Amino acid sequence: TSINPVFSLNNAVINASFVSTIVQNEIGIVQQMVSPNSGVLTGANFNQDNRDGTSQNWIRYYRTVIRFSVDVLESTKDQPTRSNLYNMARIWKAHAMMVMTDSYGDVPYTEAGKGYSEQVLLPKYDTQQAIYNDIIKELTEATAALDAAKTVETADVLYGGNIALWKKLGNSLLLRAGMRLSKVDAALAQSTVQKAVQGALMEVNADNCVIRHDANYTNQVGNMLNATEANNFYLAAPFANHLKNTNDPRLGSIAVRYVGAKSGPEQNAARANIDPAVQIGMPFGFDNSGIVGEAAKAGLASFYDYSQVDRTRMVKNTAPMFLVTAAQTQLLLAEAIQRGWATGSAEQAYQKGIRLHMEQMALYDARSAIAGSAIDAYIAANPYDATKAREQINTQYWIASFLNGPEAFANFRRSGFPVLTPNPFPGKAIKGNFINRLTYPNSEISVNKANVDAAIARQGADDLDTKVWWDK
Amino acid sequence: QQVSGTVSDKTSGQGIPGVLVLVKGTTTGAVTDIDGKFNINARSSDTLSFSSTGFTTVEEYVGNRTQITVSMDAAVLELGEMVVTALGIRKESKKLGYATTTVGGEALTENRSPNFMNTLQGKVAGVNISGLGTGPAGTSKIRIRGQSSISGQNNPLIVVNGVPIDNTNFGTNPGNAAADNSIGVRGGGNTSDGGDGLSSINPDDIESMTILKGATAAALYGSRAKDGVIMITTKTRGKSKGIGVSFNSNYTNETPLDFTDYQYEYGQGENGVRPTAPNPTSGQWSFGEKFQPGMTQVLFDGVTVPYEPQFDRVRNFFQNGSNLTNTISLAAATDKGGFNLSFANMDNQGIISNNKFNRKTVNLGFAYDLSSKLSFTGNVNYSNEYNQNPPNIANQDNSIPTALYNLANSMPLSLLDEKKYDAAGNEFVYSRFRNRTNPYWTIAEQFQNIRRDRLFGNLALKYNLTPWLFVQGRIGQDYWSRDQDFNNFPTGHASIAAAPAGFENGTYTQESRRFRETNMDLLISGSRTFGKFGIDFNVGGNQMYRRSDLNSVLVNDFVVRDLYTVMNGRVKDPIYGLSERAVNSVYGSAEFSYKSFLYLNVTARNDWFSTLSEENRSISYPSVSGSYVFSESFGTLPKWLKFGKLRAAYAEVGSDTDVAPYANNLFYGINANLYPNPAGAAQPVGGSQGNTLPNAGLRPMRATEAEIGLELRMFDNRVSLDAAVYQKTTNDQIVSAQISDASGFTNTLINSGKSRNNGVEMLLNLVPIKSSNFRWDLSFNGSYNITKVLSLLTDTPGERITVGTHVFNGELRQVVGQEMGQIYGFGYRRDAQGRQIFGGNGIPLRTTDLISFGSALPKWVGGINNGFVYKNLSVSFLIDFKLGNMMLSGTNFNAYRHGLHKATLQGRAEGGVVGVGVNDKGETNTVKANVQPYWEVVRSLALIEPVVYNGGYWKLRQITAGYDFGKHLPANSAIKGLKLSFVANNVLMLKKWVDNIDPETFGYSSDNLIGMESTGLPSTRSLGFNLNVQF
Repeated sequence: TSINPVFSLNNAVINASFVSTIVQNEIGIVQQMVSPNSGVLTGANFNQDNRDGTSQNWIRYYRTVIRFSVDVLESTKDQPTRSNLYNMARIWKAHAMMVMTDSYGDVPYTEAGKGYSEQVLLPKYDTQQAIYNDIIKELTEATAALDAAKTVETADVLYGGNIALWKKLGNSLLLRAGMRLSKVDAALAQSTVQKAVQGALMEVNADNCVIRHDANYTNQVGNMLNATEANNFYLAAPFANHLKNTNDPRLGSIAVRYVGAKSGPEQNAARANIDPAVQIGMPFGFDNSGIVGEAAKAGLASFYDYSQVDRTRMVKNTAPMFLVTAAQTQLLLAEAIQRGWATGSAEQAYQKGIRLHMEQMALYDARSAIAGSAIDAYIAANPYDATKAREQINTQYWIASFLNGPEAFANFRRSGFPVLTPNPFPGKAIKGNFINRLTYPNSEISVNKANVDAAIARQGADDLDTKVWWDK
Repeated sequence: QQVSGTVSDKTSGQGIPGVLVLVKGTTTGAVTDIDGKFNINARSSDTLSFSSTGFTTVEEYVGNRTQITVSMDAAVLELGEMVVTALGIRKESKKLGYATTTVGGEALTENRSPNFMNTLQGKVAGVNISGLGTGPAGTSKIRIRGQSSISGQNNPLIVVNGVPIDNTNFGTNPGNAAADNSIGVRGGGNTSDGGDGLSSINPDDIESMTILKGATAAALYGSRAKDGVIMITTKTRGKSKGIGVSFNSNYTNETPLDFTDYQYEYGQGENGVRPTAPNPTSGQWSFGEKFQPGMTQVLFDGVTVPYEPQFDRVRNFFQNGSNLTNTISLAAATDKGGFNLSFANMDNQGIISNNKFNRKTVNLGFAYDLSSKLSFTGNVNYSNEYNQNPPNIANQDNSIPTALYNLANSMPLSLLDEKKYDAAGNEFVYSRFRNRTNPYWTIAEQFQNIRRDRLFGNLALKYNLTPWLFVQGRIGQDYWSRDQDFNNFPTGHASIAAAPAGFENGTYTQESRRFRETNMDLLISGSRTFGKFGIDFNVGGNQMYRRSDLNSVLVNDFVVRDLYTVMNGRVKDPIYGLSERAVNSVYGSAEFSYKSFLYLNVTARNDWFSTLSEENRSISYPSVSGSYVFSESFGTLPKWLKFGKLRAAYAEVGSDTDVAPYANNLFYGINANLYPNPAGAAQPVGGSQGNTLPNAGLRPMRATEAEIGLELRMFDNRVSLDAAVYQKTTNDQIVSAQISDASGFTNTLINSGKSRNNGVEMLLNLVPIKSSNFRWDLSFNGSYNITKVLSLLTDTPGERITVGTHVFNGELRQVVGQEMGQIYGFGYRRDAQGRQIFGGNGIPLRTTDLISFGSALPKWVGGINNGFVYKNLSVSFLIDFKLGNMMLSGTNFNAYRHGLHKATLQGRAEGGVVGVGVNDKGETNTVKANVQPYWEVVRSLALIEPVVYNGGYWKLRQITAGYDFGKHLPANSAIKGLKLSFVANNVLMLKKWVDNIDPETFGYSSDNLIGMESTGLPSTRSLGFNLNVQF
């Protein structure tokens, strides 16, 4: 007997939901959440390298998403009747590899996931440039080859096999890949974006690529924030202040403050306040001793009195995890138009992106829904300014990528926006202002050293400072 | 006619008292007097038989003599002349060409431990036994002649009355990257040691135990015997005619031992600040302020209490344990056979209040001669075991010892006990580390029940075709069922998420396993002599079949609080697993003897393994061994030499033990739960299974072993020596190698490793003093073993694989050209001049690659036993040692990062540590780093150098003092024997090198995690008595 390979693709899809360590690493680097605690929670909060944390997405993606995607590719490549499934897996693998290379730089690509099919035990690392060239080719070919006239994979859990939606995902990812290269290779970026916008892009929230969690398949970030670290992570001041200063209604969707809480257990339902007006983000630069005085200065009962991302709404353990959204896509399109790489109205795309993300809030939890009138008011109060377009668009992208740490981190490095103040914590392990990449897992240094060494020789030291190719 | 005479010792010429002189075929007899003289009535056609313990029986035809002078030879072996060898064949010890050690039942019963194998620690040369600090029903780890397998199993085969029994171990081994068949637990939250197969055996039923150390001894057992065999013979009949009853009672009290030597100068808190508000209380951190009289701290319940050190928490938290075993046996013997029936009950109370282990055993052994040609023997052992709440150990989360050993040093235990529940009845969070669960809450809320019913035994039928040839058929079975249920995470556990409205959170698992192994064998055995030549031969075959299956359901969230049942669960995850394996074998052996001093034994065996592909599954292997009793081959011997024997052996064994069934194929499976598509319709999720990359081309591994041994008995048997030198090469090992995660798998099985064990083992017995009332026996056993890795994928020196990772940091590797079991991890980065390098923030930098800290395998293992007998009083004490091994201490890893280790006092008074060394520009480091992050590098940078230690020790292991009241009993008393002994175990640590712990308390049974210590239960000192009464 054999199993239908679409079940393996489903496995790859579900496992693409990020691991919980993105909170201390990527989400911390872009200053959206912070913990004052050290030890296992060390990461962007102290600008220090915590190898246990940096390796978690690597381990999950290579052991599951990439392994299962490659398995689907191997079992369907010679089956013309399953060509749609084959091309869906190509798109899915392309997304996973973007996450990997954006985080670490050079990573195993051509030989990745081929432990069984080709007995590659210690895969070589490819350059990020080569990886992007191939991802662009893969996305272009696979999206073009999807064909509604052929077998439709209705058991697919991402889009129910809907070819139009898979094509939108392929084009939107191609747009993302193209924009990622804007700094390093504008010509390739432009040509890629132009290919992408020829097809249909994500335009409504129903197009989103989202991992829907349930009781059996839970959200790892939500699990952590509701369990071991429930009282240890806070909404970071730079993010909270930005939302507050712009009267962003999303603050009311995201945040909760347990007013007057003096301890973890006092963060109870009776104290929960989701009014945007009372929200206070935790500043960067303090450990759990320093933050005590800082909380007192702010008039708070303790550090447990700072605002958190609401564990009962956006980061409940059944909350969906959005990987590629219509909001992000429209904002990238706005920048592409602004750069002259696509036609249309940058302003319209920008506003559409904002609106889509605000509407997306309801998909986390009904209590996070934002009224249409509030959206209109926000857009009216924060008009598109062509002279500050890049900053505006990418600041919105930062908000729209909240909880998608790897994407927020990548776009922050590429665009340089939003403008953030470097984390002032003394004792940082980095030489620059911000963390530029994540470090390779200890296990790779242990078992795959020759290939890691070759990658280090090409791209630079295995530390938090080295910039990846497209960030150079 | 009246016959008189003298019986004398051939060697010394002195008369032998107490020799039984019998007229053969009658009951007429006499006993020699103190000078060896006797008188007896006999006819001239009679034959007299002279027999005495320790001498070879002599027969003399009377004829017309009235005076007979007899000189007797000392028996070749004074103790246990016959040795049980492979397949249950009894052989004269002097014929053996390989090393064996026989242990009498008493050595296992008098001064005992719950898992009887642990009693033998330090007593047998070349055998390394470790209890693991996991509780009374925990696993016992046995290694004979060191470790040979690079990443697989090294367990000896356990054989009871000639038939193998299962010794599956249920120790949890997080971080084990390879294949050694230990069975873990689903659902997380459970890191207890569920015990092994040996714990089903009541030592009172054991008549004797023989340890076959080398491959030669084990050649006839084949694949599973590559690491030696432990042959247990249980009692099958009474020792004397009639019915005998004996009663044995053993009680010991166990005191937990505290080896912590933490700092008590600075109290709880972080970054130099003590808790002054309910939160953040550190709970698990002692990086606070210096204790000063009158200082206070505010703990998690908001109440202000004095800020003062809390001492002796190990002693205050753990209670004394106890162990009570009562065994009653009934034995009978007749001319035709007999039986032995015993009932035993063992009650064990662990050092954690809710940890209990009860074992009831019934053992029946019987033998009967149906005719002069046909006889049968058999035995049945039934055990009913109930292991309650074996504690979680050796993990960071949800483990009582870890939470306790790292508790902030000013946190009062009484407070944790009183305030374990919050207002909602959930765990009251006492630390920002919510997964360092309050140990009192764990005891109150977490449970685990393991129930095992086990029946094993065998039945053998033997038919003597001719006086020199017999055929024997035997069938044996080991069957057990094991039910286990536990709440991985009790409702209200602080480390888990709340359940949706209307439900209570928590996780519960219920598992049911069944296991059956059957062995059928047929043996044809003959023995003939032709003049000075003799031949013994055996031909046989064996069929082994094993089947195990598992039902398991894991549920999350409950409808009704505190009701842990599968039906009460909201989310259910069921699985079923089944595996089968079989081995068919044929074998034969032949032994040739010349006179009584030259022996040659050859064996051959062929196995067919079901786990390997058809083209690779058959393997045959030979052994040859010889024994030369030179003391019997020469007419004249120096007077001091009583016995001398030289032996030599060479053997090969093939094995598939490191291959799990179905390891040669990739399998696909469907997840237990569906996942909704966008329309909400549930869809299947599946995929290829397992993290081990399958390899269809696996071949059996092959171990080759050569040994040479010497046995001497000298000076009236007051000096005896048994020494062996061996070399064992294990080829074509089935190695589980860690591979890059980017391959999609974590490890793979390859057929390539080669390792070599070289060792010496010796047993030296001395009798320094021997008089009519007093005797001093001094026995030393020691072994030296070194195992080198010769090749992995290739034989390039430095090539390595990772076989296990510590649950915190650091790993165990096999490296070509190095000793097996290297501990690797990041060390402090140093420049060419050896100066430590610090980062710009004053925090130590780590090496760019993992570096070796040495082998975790002990090189020297042994013991020294002193025994004194004065009249009916005997006293003995045993000192044992393990030396030459490194360990990575997880307890100290936490002691550093939590500020309990004394070394973390450095820089506290100065407000920071200025590390001695240079910065990355080579300038002297002047940057003052905060104390807490300075030490937290053990975690954040996985920098293990400060917590690697020499793992050796010297211990006063046992003291036994016994008094035999037997001689004081009146001759007609109903009580025939009475012996009372006082026993003490794990008495005193004489020398160790690791801080804060007993180097023996390892939590892991896996060989891929040796040297990777993580906090286990404290070791215990036991004191008690053993009472043996014979009726």
